[in-house]
Amino acid sequence: MKTYLKVILFLISVTYLQISNSYSNEDTSISGISYDEIYDPIEPINRAVLNFNFFIDDIAIRPIVKTYKFIAPEPVEKGVSNFFSNLKEPIRTVSFIFQGEFYKSFNSVGRFTINTLTSLGTFDLASRVGMEKNETDFGITLAKGGISSGPYIVIPIIGPSNLRDFSGDVVEYFVDPISNNVPNREYIAIGNGLNERIELDEQLDKVRDASSDRYEMIKSIYYQNRNAQLEEEYIQNLPVPKIYIE
Amino acid sequence: MRNLLILFSIFFSFSTLQASEVSEWFEKESSQFLEIINNNEGTESENYEKYKYFINKNFAIKSIAYGLIGENIIDSSSKGELTLYLDVFSDYLIKTIYKLANSNSSSSIILKDVDIKDNIYIIRSKISNKKSSVNLYWKVIDTGSSFKIIDVIVENTSYFVTKKSEFNKILRKNRGSLEALISEIKKI
Repeated sequence: MKTYLKVILFLISVTYLQISNSYSNEDTSISGISYDEIYDPIEPINRAVLNFNFFIDDIAIRPIVKTYKFIAPEPVEKGVSNFFSNLKEPIRTVSFIFQGEFYKSFNSVGRFTINTLTSLGTFDLASRVGMEKNETDFGITLAKGGISSGPYIVIPIIGPSNLRDFSGDVVEYFVDPISNNVPNREYIAIGNGLNERIELDEQLDKVRDASSDRYEMIKSIYYQNRNAQLEEEYIQNLPVPKIYIE
Repeated sequence: MRNLLILFSIFFSFSTLQASEVSEWFEKESSQFLEIINNNEGTESENYEKYKYFINKNFAIKSIAYGLIGENIIDSSSKGELTLYLDVFSDYLIKTIYKLANSNSSSSIILKDVDIKDNIYIIRSKISNKKSSVNLYWKVIDTGSSFKIIDVIVENTSYFVTKKSEFNKILRKNRGSLEALISEIKKI
């Protein structure tokens, strides 16, 4: 029964994404994104959620992150980060299979095996022996399958996303071989969320006061980073200004 | 065939020469940039002046500023408005780079490689401190007399693309008013 629910959820999300494609005003590159006109039909709601997220971050999450970064020695911080990254290798393996990237899929299996057996994932030995980490997720799998990003959304507590990537996250939550097979998976989700927030700490501090409109800045940065994961020659293809004689 | 080979080798050696020139320029300017970032001795205003000098010397400010607002706004604005915008943007660029760079202490910038596409050099470098390192890309043009930076990309985030989204939003909200944009960016 549970499997049926998963399949239905997946189909609903894919169908909705394909419908949303028809009213999206984006370009039709692989990433489906025009930087100037990111499809954002619920901007007022998104802005309110972003403000709420910053409020929660200011009063609860940021103090925890700052204290942790102050107390935890560098190797501990790195070890925790490696641990949570290693837990994602099985779902990366599944994503790569769906993308037809079988070499990368085997690489993920190898990385998970080596890092788990040698250090429970806290030390990335696999990278040292030439098995580099490749980032991916279900959102990217859907993008490579030709599905448009849909509208931009800001999720309470979690942060920026779009309908495609959020659907990918939901699917991942249900099919992830690790979190589906451990008790108290919520703790892993919270730990992973906190770890991601810790990794973004410096960038978030900069965003707070280096922008005239932090909402637009975060949206742009989110799409640029997703594009970089999708396009081979991302840096080369970024728009540049027309040259004026100075 | 022989002529074609000669032409090809001249073109190839010319490109290599240009790449080595831009690398040389980059090595010199990046070490100066590191010096400015890591200088803890001067007062804040002295350090700010150094950033200002560095940015005025090395950034294609007019191209970036005009690129951010687009040709429609340029065409519909008066010369006076554009001059004011350029002045305000120049300060804005210095302040944003100053804020971004000043919160870091970096020990090295290593040049990784130089690529060229559509007459724009893409310099890949790595900036490191004791804790971590990030990829830093510089898009650079050759103006004939010097090299000028038109974009800086930290990991995957382009300064030009990010600011263009922000500026477009302000312009759209204010029906293309350059005056409104100027007053917004003055607030930073």
